[in-house]
Amino acid sequence: MQPLHPDIKSIWRLKSFLFFVALFAVVAAWAIMTMTSGGLIWRFGLLPGGIVLFGLSWTLVIPGLRYRFWRYDLRANELYLERGVWNRVRTIVPLRRIQHLDVSQDVLERNYELGRLIVHTAGTRSSSVTVPGLHYETAERLRDELRHYITEDAI
Amino acid sequence: MELQRPPTDPARRLHPLTLIQKLIKSLPALLLGLLPFLGNDSGPSKVVLLVFLVLYGTVMVPVILIQYFRFRYWITEREVIIHSGVLTRRKRSIPIERIQNIVLERSLLPRLLGTARVKIETAGSKSAEGILEYVHVAEANRLRTVVQEWTATSDSVRGSTPEPHKETELFRMSLDRIFLSGAFRFSLIYIAIIFSGMQYLPDVFNLTPEDLVDWVLSGGVEEYTETARASPWLIGAVTGVMAILFGWTTGIVINVTKYYNFRLWLDGNKLHLRHGLFTVREGTIPLKRVQSLILRTNPPMRLFGWYRLELQTIGYDVEKQGYQVAVPFARLHEILALAPHIRPFTLPESFECVSPVSIRRTVVRYFMVFAVLLAVPVYFWQEALWGLLLLAPLYGLAVLQYRNHGYAIDADTVYIRRGVFQHYVWIVPSDRFQVFYTHDTFFQRRLGLRSVIIDTAGAGSFRFPYIVDLVAETAEQFTATLYARFQSHFMLGNHMDAEPKAVPGQ
Repeated sequence: MQPLHPDIKSIWRLKSFLFFVALFAVVAAWAIMTMTSGGLIWRFGLLPGGIVLFGLSWTLVIPGLRYRFWRYDLRANELYLERGVWNRVRTIVPLRRIQHLDVSQDVLERNYELGRLIVHTAGTRSSSVTVPGLHYETAERLRDELRHYITEDAI
Repeated sequence: MELQRPPTDPARRLHPLTLIQKLIKSLPALLLGLLPFLGNDSGPSKVVLLVFLVLYGTVMVPVILIQYFRFRYWITEREVIIHSGVLTRRKRSIPIERIQNIVLERSLLPRLLGTARVKIETAGSKSAEGILEYVHVAEANRLRTVVQEWTATSDSVRGSTPEPHKETELFRMSLDRIFLSGAFRFSLIYIAIIFSGMQYLPDVFNLTPEDLVDWVLSGGVEEYTETARASPWLIGAVTGVMAILFGWTTGIVINVTKYYNFRLWLDGNKLHLRHGLFTVREGTIPLKRVQSLILRTNPPMRLFGWYRLELQTIGYDVEKQGYQVAVPFARLHEILALAPHIRPFTLPESFECVSPVSIRRTVVRYFMVFAVLLAVPVYFWQEALWGLLLLAPLYGLAVLQYRNHGYAIDADTVYIRRGVFQHYVWIVPSDRFQVFYTHDTFFQRRLGLRSVIIDTAGAGSFRFPYIVDLVAETAEQFTATLYARFQSHFMLGNHMDAEPKAVPGQ
């Protein structure tokens, strides 16, 4: 069983941080616009304070936990995934069910030389199964290994 | 090896009568535009109406004409090509090998004019990829034959033996059976629609629901209305009975129009369906596209021994129209007799139960939702605590859910039973499995439970083969067994029609 690349924690933290900053900005703008209508303690104290507290604890704790519970394994006949903090999910993707494969990378991931492998199947909820936080070369190597299993079976 | 393909087709236009049909179909829009004028007490002046009509005509008629002349389609060696569009011109080519289904739809007007609407469905997209509105019936049939022959030739070239051309009728619905099925399709939705439509009455006819009531009260039914006024309970009961009668009637009317002349037949390795009173629907489902079979019923239907059979197929828009109905209403033994033609299976005698702890989890879940819903009323009004009594039936519901949930597995099929108000039995062949999931939420982990999802192609996002709350080890063992069956199916070179072979234990 392989863990993800540890750098993914930084990416997840950064993304979570950016999300809460955006949320904070929206709430702050709303509070300033409705300043005249009272309820100042609520609008300038509790709500933004709550967002800061919640955002900080989420950003500090969750990415680490997510990383700890993510595992993947490429076996002889299947790709096996295990993930989830709250709802723990184990997935078996039989290699013969792979329809096509993608490797993708967003701006943050490029900074860390990470990428993600996306496995497409004909399954309804598994039309794309993603393994994030792989070293870009690892993702490409996995894709090349898996490519041999794509069958011609039309669905 | 060179395939025998149809010679290249000249570019074709739609049937000229399309113009008239499109114009007629656009009329409701015209009426909607006129609605504000009709409502005026002074009444629309004739001049306004005339101006409106002329404007409408000068815009709509050229649009329809240009659309018609811009629309061309033809069949090449391997593709159906459709060029269309006035402002944005679209050129669409659909590879014939990807065409799943060619559906002919004939509603009342096309049937009078001898035309049909042709929908070309493919596996890739959820809705129809190409629509020809409208072509001559003969032309529609020609298209279908061309596509079918193309698929047949390429199949035989690929090495599979060509099926002997013979038709087997699997199911046919008599008129009284359709009436009976309608009686079980009790629906009050249409009452709601009619009543919400009533608020537009005054605009169109200067008539309000109050006027209607006044008319009834002053009319010949006075005797009855007097009695009704005397006792409100009676009026309630009468309204209830009327609503039920109405729900029944609409159910029957809907089923008669939808399933009139229902016929399901097998032609080689393709299923064909044909049904409908005003709009005749015709469809073809290649057997290899069928992913699983679904046996459905609900408590009243089950009480009288009625079931329906649905098919999960690829290229069918589940979210919009539900699963493909193969047999709308039949006895269990009838379905079990015909279903093996679609996919052989033996319905298990008994199902394994999931963990009884499941009841506890469901009840706790209901209780939490309930507590949230009840918190606000109780805050204002203490007596609302009596609402807690409603938890008793919810407990009953949880028990029923547990009792109705079960699973079974045999050499090459898995069966999953679920549902209280809508009862489902999923019949999923092991060669149709795609991806396997087990998952447990925080609460499930504490109770040592785990759920299993068997992902297949073309399933809906709310109803799919799902086993909830197994004991954790059982869930893992079961998934391992499923996966072993799936793998052995391919390892031994089995095919769908081959005899199931012994499975190495795991």
